[in-house]
Order: sequence, then C-alpha cells, then structure tokens
Amino acid sequence: MVLITVRLPPEATLEQAVHRLGLSEDEVDTGYGLVPLDPDQGLYALRVTESAGHRVAPDAGGPFSDPPIEPFGPPH
Amino acid sequence: MRVLIQLRPSPDIVAAVAAPDLTATTADVTGELPGVALDHDYTPVPLPRARPAVPGGDPLSLNQPLDFSMAPEEASVLVRGEISDDDRAARMALLPGRGGSVVGVYADPVIETSLTCGGTPPVGTWRDVERLLAVPRLTAEGYDGTGVALAICDTGINAAHVTRQMGRSFTIDADRSWSPSGVSDTPGRYRVDHGSMCAFDALIAAPKASFIDIPVLLSRRQGDTVMDGLLSDAIAAFSHLRTVLDAQPAASRALVVSNSWGSFSPLWDMAPGQPGNYSDNPAHPFNIIVGSLERAGADILFAAGNCGVECKDRRCAFPARPIVGANSHPQVLSIGGVDTKGLRVGYSSQGPGRLTDRKPDICSYTHFAGSKAFGPGTPDSGTSAACPVAAGLVAAVRTRWPASAISPAQLRTLLYRTATDRSTVGFDYDYGYGVADPPALLSALERHADATAKV
Repeated sequence: MVLITVRLPPEATLEQAVHRLGLSEDEVDTGYGLVPLDPDQGLYALRVTESAGHRVAPDAGGPFSDPPIEPFGPPH
Repeated sequence: MRVLIQLRPSPDIVAAVAAPDLTATTADVTGELPGVALDHDYTPVPLPRARPAVPGGDPLSLNQPLDFSMAPEEASVLVRGEISDDDRAARMALLPGRGGSVVGVYADPVIETSLTCGGTPPVGTWRDVERLLAVPRLTAEGYDGTGVALAICDTGINAAHVTRQMGRSFTIDADRSWSPSGVSDTPGRYRVDHGSMCAFDALIAAPKASFIDIPVLLSRRQGDTVMDGLLSDAIAAFSHLRTVLDAQPAASRALVVSNSWGSFSPLWDMAPGQPGNYSDNPAHPFNIIVGSLERAGADILFAAGNCGVECKDRRCAFPARPIVGANSHPQVLSIGGVDTKGLRVGYSSQGPGRLTDRKPDICSYTHFAGSKAFGPGTPDSGTSAACPVAAGLVAAVRTRWPASAISPAQLRTLLYRTATDRSTVGFDYDYGYGVADPPALLSALERHADATAKV
C-alpha cells in the first residue's frame, strides 16, 4: 500500500474521495479512511494499492512511501 | 606528529624542574633540538625513575613492587613538541643521539573522554535529571504541566508501572487518547515497554500534565520488525491530535507531542529524489501534517535518533545524515541526548538533518536510571529518553504560556537562545544550540512577561 493526497471540500468523506479519483473499494484501505492533513488547505490522505496510486497520480498527490517506523531506544 | 620527549639533562636542571619554587623552561632543559618544533608553552614535567623495590627485581617490569626516585641524578624531564610528518620515522630514530640527553620519544595522542554508549550502565538517576531541570523551581513558580495535554506517540503507556516507579500518580486522559486500527483501545494499560519509559521521563518536569496515550508503534498492519508501526498510522494519530487541539479554547491551547521514533533505513523508503520519498521530501503527507499541526499551535518534539558516529545503533542504515524526515522537520524540536554530566552520548545522531540543515536543535538528558521499563539496572536510554524529558520541560512551560501567548516557533527560539552552549561556540551538529537550560529559560520568560506587560 502507498499513500496519496487529494484536495477536497471541508468535511469530505471517503466515499467522495473514492468517487473523485475513480477508485474501486478493494483498492482502498477503508479501515484507514480519509485522513485530514491540513484542514485549512482541504488536503487529505488515503492509503491505496500501489497500482492504484500510480494510476490516480495525475489527479492526486503521490504516491508516497509508507515506511515502517521504530522506537529510538535503547540503542542496540 | 605531536610527541613527548624524555630527556636526562644535568642534575641541577632536573632539580630546577622538580623544585616547586623554581621555574625551568623548555629552553633551559633542551636548548634547540633539530627537527623538532618544541612547544615552549608547555612547562617541563619531572619524571621519577622507577626501580624494583626488591634487590634483583626485573628493571623493565611494572608487575612487581616499585620504588620511585626523584633524586636529580636519577629523575628525567618530559617536554612536548611536534615532528614533521615528512621522514617522521628517521627523525624520531635520530633524536636519541642528539645532544646526548634525549632518552626517549613517545607519541602524544589526542585524548578524549569516554563517551556513554548503548549497553553501558546508567549515568546518574532520574532524580539527577529532576535537579538538572530545576524542577523544584519550576514547580514553585507554577510550571508543573497543569492543564497541558502531553501526547506520547509510542508503544502505549502502562500507568500502573509508571506510578509505581515514580512513587506518584498521574493523569491518563483516556477520552483524548487514540489508537491505530487493530490496536486495543485501553489507554494507560499497555504492556510495560518503550512507551512507559517515555511517559515516565516526560513526567519528571511535568507531573500534572494530562497524558494522551497514542500507541502508534503497536500497529501490525505491515510492519517487519518486532515493534514498529507504519508512518500512515502516525499521520492518522496527528490528524486525531489536530481535533484535540481544535477542541481546546483558543486562548489556552497547549498540546505537546513527544515522538521517540523514526526510520532507521532508506531501504524502507522510496529513493531520495523520487516524488514519493519520505526521508528527504517536505511534501510527504506526514511532513505536511507535522507542519499543519505545529501551525495550529502544537509543540512537536522528535528524538534525533541513535546513529551518532561514535557508537551508533546497529540498525542504522543511512550512510550519512541520519536525522531524516520529520525528525529533521523545520517546525519540530529535534532532540539530541546528553548524559547527566552534560556530555553528548555517543549514539546521539549528529546533523546536518535532511529536511533542515541545523539539526539537532537542542539536547536533553538520557541514559539515567529511571523507569525500569527494560528491567532493573537498565537505563532509560537513547534519544528516545531525551525527547520526552525535553517534552516534559516544554509542557511545564506551557502551564503558564499557552500557544496564544508564545507560539511554538517563538518557544523554540527561546529554547535555542537559552540553551547551555557546548562544544564550539554557537550551533554545532553534535549538540545543536546546546543543552536545554530551564533556569535560563525561566529568566527569558520573565523578561518576555515584563516586555509584554509594558506594551
């Protein structure tokens, strides 16, 4: 899975994002949902399959990496 | 090459060097030594002659009782100088024959203090950290975290363990806590682990803060390691924190976010230069939401990482510039680690950062006996501990100075200006602007209050 960004009106829903980008339900991590990144700018993020991310790239930001993160201690 | 030169001059010169009421110079001892740039600022040092204490002992062995003689006819003198690196071996070999008094030439290597590294015992205790942070003064002046939300984005907090180790209770704000999809929603009741250490360390300076438990590192969605999450979980966590912040009254907004995590390897990321890259790309969604949350009034702190050149964590896979992504974001405080003696721990990552050159920003304390989250005798360590220690200090300040009075950017500047400078003058890549200094910070806040009152 990768991350993409999309600009939508305030209070937008995942359904609106999916419709706007032409995504199918199985291409989207619906558990993750539509996450506001910057409400003032109407910028949102969602997780989609890698192929979907590349396909919708002209209409969305990304695709962006979603790397694992780890705690910084104690040092090994 | 810098060298120490041992000479055996005449007994009266040795006596002059050894006498506390006389001052013999390098020139008095040696005259000139061809091929050596003598350090005439170095006062010659008398060296006693060692002899076996027992008759018949080995004259070359130190593994026996020894007597030491400072008698002028037996003692020697040490001076310091530099030999050109050209034909160094030949010059050193010739020196003992020069002038007849040179008896030995030795290297004079640079010496350094032994840095604290992973696996070494604790340096001091959390009570030392409490003293170094001037917590009694902070508390006396009303800086205790009351009314401040302090989010620990980590592996979850075990409140019972933290309370037991600290000897006092604290507040977990269950209503404003949040967990990623698939992680049990029991704030303050997670397994004792890294997150409990972070909560303990933040409590040192902010005992009355309301802790928001965000177990972002417990996600198992696609993680490869025993304990990790995905950056997308952190995005969702920060989005939740934005709702927390927006729900606070604008005049008293105070949200501090402590993040003791990051990325160790470029292999898990898209390559630098690719549009989807995280480590080097300010347009990545997580770097966007970090800036957005800070602009809305949150103080965001990130550990600088454990990839210091002297003893880096073995997981570190960035060949250079290991402070990556949001850990080097211009709108966060990137926290390096020092021990309770004020010395940078050898694993604390050095700048420059990838998103911002001047990282880390400041240092705070780590590697002390504290939470026992990893067992008795194991220190709270890593920049993982330094970050919440600093977050606790920031939360303490926010008790009386909400974001409406001092913006996160202004508070960062105050922390830079008041930090105790280390190493070179001003900013450096080891310590940033220096070690956070609460008394100096309080004084600056008093001046700020006076200036504000006059306006």
